[in-house]
Amino acid sequence: MLLLKRISYLAVLTFALASLPNAQAEESPEKLLEQTISEVLDVLHASDQQISLIDKRTKILDLLQSRFSFDIIIRRALGRNWNLLSDSQQNQITTLISDLLIRAYTRELENGPKPEIKFLRTDDLGSNKIEIVTTVAYKSNFVSVSYRLANIKGRGWQVYDVLIEGISMVSNYRKQFDEHFQTKNAADLLKLLEGKLEE
Amino acid sequence: MKIQQLYRILFLATTVTSVAIAQDDAIDLDDLFADEFEEQSTVTINDPLEKYNRAIFKFNDSVYTSLVKPVARTYSNVMPDRVERGIENVFKNLKYPSRLVGNILQGRFGQAGKETGKFALNTTVGIGGIFRPSDDFEGLQTHDEDVGQAFARWGFGHGFYLVLPFTGPTSLRDFVGDFVDDAVEPINEPWSQIEDDTDRLILRVIEITNRLPAIMELYDSMRRSAIDPYSSVRDAYAQRRARQVAQ
Repeated sequence: MLLLKRISYLAVLTFALASLPNAQAEESPEKLLEQTISEVLDVLHASDQQISLIDKRTKILDLLQSRFSFDIIIRRALGRNWNLLSDSQQNQITTLISDLLIRAYTRELENGPKPEIKFLRTDDLGSNKIEIVTTVAYKSNFVSVSYRLANIKGRGWQVYDVLIEGISMVSNYRKQFDEHFQTKNAADLLKLLEGKLEE
Repeated sequence: MKIQQLYRILFLATTVTSVAIAQDDAIDLDDLFADEFEEQSTVTINDPLEKYNRAIFKFNDSVYTSLVKPVARTYSNVMPDRVERGIENVFKNLKYPSRLVGNILQGRFGQAGKETGKFALNTTVGIGGIFRPSDDFEGLQTHDEDVGQAFARWGFGHGFYLVLPFTGPTSLRDFVGDFVDDAVEPINEPWSQIEDDTDRLILRVIEITNRLPAIMELYDSMRRSAIDPYSSVRDAYAQRRARQVAQ
């Protein structure tokens, strides 16, 4: 009888554990993105004076990495130039550009009011890709921000491009990288990025 | 017997679970780098005057940094956000004639009608355009059209990229289009509704100053995150115009 009970518990536990990742997977990408953005804004506007700016940015990067695949964004931006880089250069550039982006887009928000984000709609781009369209009301302005996500094996729904006022970040960086690699190399790019981060 | 049945249930549960997980139809990571994902890099703009444009870009950048940004920041700090938004709304509402002409030149009469409805509603109920009650009506949602977009619809390309002193990026096509846009607006000549030159100038200054904080914030973020700010702004301009024309 005891054995029967144990097996029953085991069966229930198996079902419960099995349904757990599925339940997470079933949570809509919009909700997941909304949650990530909300957490980022909470960190950015935390009233706790003890948290330094560097700690805030580290926290923000950690939060964003759960939903934004920076490695994919940057590899796609580099396009064919990706293969010109060594493994170590690929990692360095991914880290440096992630830092650069976080700094560039948090600097203004750090001292300003909390932006209001409205999730307008989700467009199906086909092949497990979607575009989530939002507007950001910040101070007196409205900015259109769209997130392109792909459902990737082992990662779930991940942002692979961001469009601000319809301008694709991936495409914009790709133009710059293409021009850079016409006359310069990866070492120059690393130097340039390190210089920008020191500014 | 019962034990055997429970073992079967347990086995079945595990199998069903594995199948459910295996059925996940997510894409492979490598698919993100396949050709079909390379769709974005097609928008380009011819830049034969790059050397000149880069010099003007550098000049503008120093003007923005040393003069315009401090003005924009002070204005933004002094002026309440609601007032800024109200002023922005008024000037946007006044640009109705250029949006109307842009739509008509593209044969978009339905959109032209919507623009007229929007203008009438925002001018009356919205008290001279300070408020935008039209935002609450789905049937009155439009994309901002202009004459440059109409030229693009007629088949004219950008011609070439141009960076103008102070005002920044444009193209030959859009520069010509801007002349028509300005001409049909009620503030500017030749059909200005404001007789006094000084009044016109004051209104122009208010309009530009009110737009500066938003423009400077976006420009600043782009500049800081760019590998080459000149190339980044040029591509952003080309992408933005291509999107506006496509809408």
